[in-house]
Amino acid sequence: MSERDVTLVAHASLRATRPTPASAFADLDDSHVVQAFLDGQSRAFDELVTRYQARLLNFIYRTIGDRERAEDLVQEVFIRIYRHLHRFDQTKKFSTWAYTIASNLAKNELRNRSRNPLVLFQAIKKHWEADHRPLQFEDSSSRPDDMYHKRHLRSLVEQSVEQLPEHHRVVFVLRELEGKTYEEIAEITGCNLGTVKSRLNRARNSFAAIIAPHLD
Amino acid sequence: MDCCEFREKYSDFADGQLDEEAELRARRHLSLCAPCRRFDAAFRTGVRALRDLPSVEVSRTFGERLKSQLRHELIVRALAVDPLSGAIAAMLVLVTVGLVTWDLAELHATRHTAAAVAVNPMPPVAIRLPPPVQVRIDTTQIFGDVSNAFDPVLLVADTSPAPEPDAPRFDIPAVWGGR
Repeated sequence: MSERDVTLVAHASLRATRPTPASAFADLDDSHVVQAFLDGQSRAFDELVTRYQARLLNFIYRTIGDRERAEDLVQEVFIRIYRHLHRFDQTKKFSTWAYTIASNLAKNELRNRSRNPLVLFQAIKKHWEADHRPLQFEDSSSRPDDMYHKRHLRSLVEQSVEQLPEHHRVVFVLRELEGKTYEEIAEITGCNLGTVKSRLNRARNSFAAIIAPHLD
Repeated sequence: MDCCEFREKYSDFADGQLDEEAELRARRHLSLCAPCRRFDAAFRTGVRALRDLPSVEVSRTFGERLKSQLRHELIVRALAVDPLSGAIAAMLVLVTVGLVTWDLAELHATRHTAAAVAVNPMPPVAIRLPPPVQVRIDTTQIFGDVSNAFDPVLLVADTSPAPEPDAPRFDIPAVWGGR
C-alpha cells in the first residue's frame, strides 16, 4: 500500500468516526434530516431544532400569549419529537407533525389556565406593563402619533386574537400567521376540512368584529 | 347577496376561493353595504398588523436547557431499554456529577475561607494567664540550717518572676512525711 493510500484510508476512517457537523444538514429537506437522525447522526436533531425553534415559539406564543411559558412548551415539543421520532410516519410532513404536538400542548395550556385564575392575572398584568412602556422610536421618520397608532393597533390585534375561543384561535393563528393550508390545519388539529373552514370563518368574523369598532 | 350570506362566505371570499359568480355577487354587495365594507377593511387591516408584529426569538439559554433535558431523556431511555446497563450509566453519571459538585464545593469553600482571612484577619486575642505560683521547698528538713550554703533549688526558685501580692502560696515540705 502506497503512502497516498494509507493517507486516504486514514482520512476515511476519521470521517467515519467524526460526527457530522450540524451545518452539513442545512441543504437537506426535513425528511432527509429526520432520516439522518434515525440513522444515528445525532447532530441532525440540532438542525431540526434550528429550523423550527423560532416558528414553533411564535406559533405557541400567539396562541397562549405568554412568552416565557411558550418557550417552555417549545422545549417540551422538542423533547417529545426526540422521544417519538422513531414512530413518526415519514410519508407525512415533519412540520405538520411538529405543529400538531405544539398545537396540542398549547391547547392543554389554555385549558389549564382557564382553571387557574392566577395565570390569567399574570397575563393581564403583563399586558398592563406593556401598555405603560414609553414609546420607542422604531422608525425615526415616523411621527409620534403614527407610532402611537401603530402600537395601539398591535396591542389591539394581539388582544383580539386572545379573545377568540381556544379552538378558533389555533385555527386562526395557523392560517393567518403560519400560512398553513386548510388540509394541513385539518391534520394538525385532527378535525375534518369542513370543521376547519367553519372554525376559520367564525374566527375571522369574530376577529373583524372585535377590531372594527376601534378602527373608526 | 345580503349581509348574512356575505359573512357566511367571508372566509372563502377573503381567500379568493369563491366561484366566479359568487365572487361577483359578493363584490356587488360590498360596494353597496357600508357596514360590510367596514368589516372587510377591519379584517384586512387587522391581519396585516398581526403579520407585522415583531417575531419573538428564543432566549440565549434555550439551546443549553434543551440539551440538558435531552441528556436526561437519554438516561431515562437507557433505563427503559436495559435496566442494568441503564442503572450503571445513571450511576456513573450521578457519581461524575457528584464528584464534580463536591470538587467545586471544596474549591469554593477554600476560596471563601482564603478570601475571608484576607479581608478580615483574625483579631489579636488577649490571653489572661493565671498568676504564677511560688513554690518554696523547706530544705531545713533535709539539710538543717544551711542558710549560708549554696542552694540550687532556692536559686532556681528565686529566679522566677516576683509573685503578685494576692498570689496563692504553698509551702510544700521537701520530704512528704505522710500521715
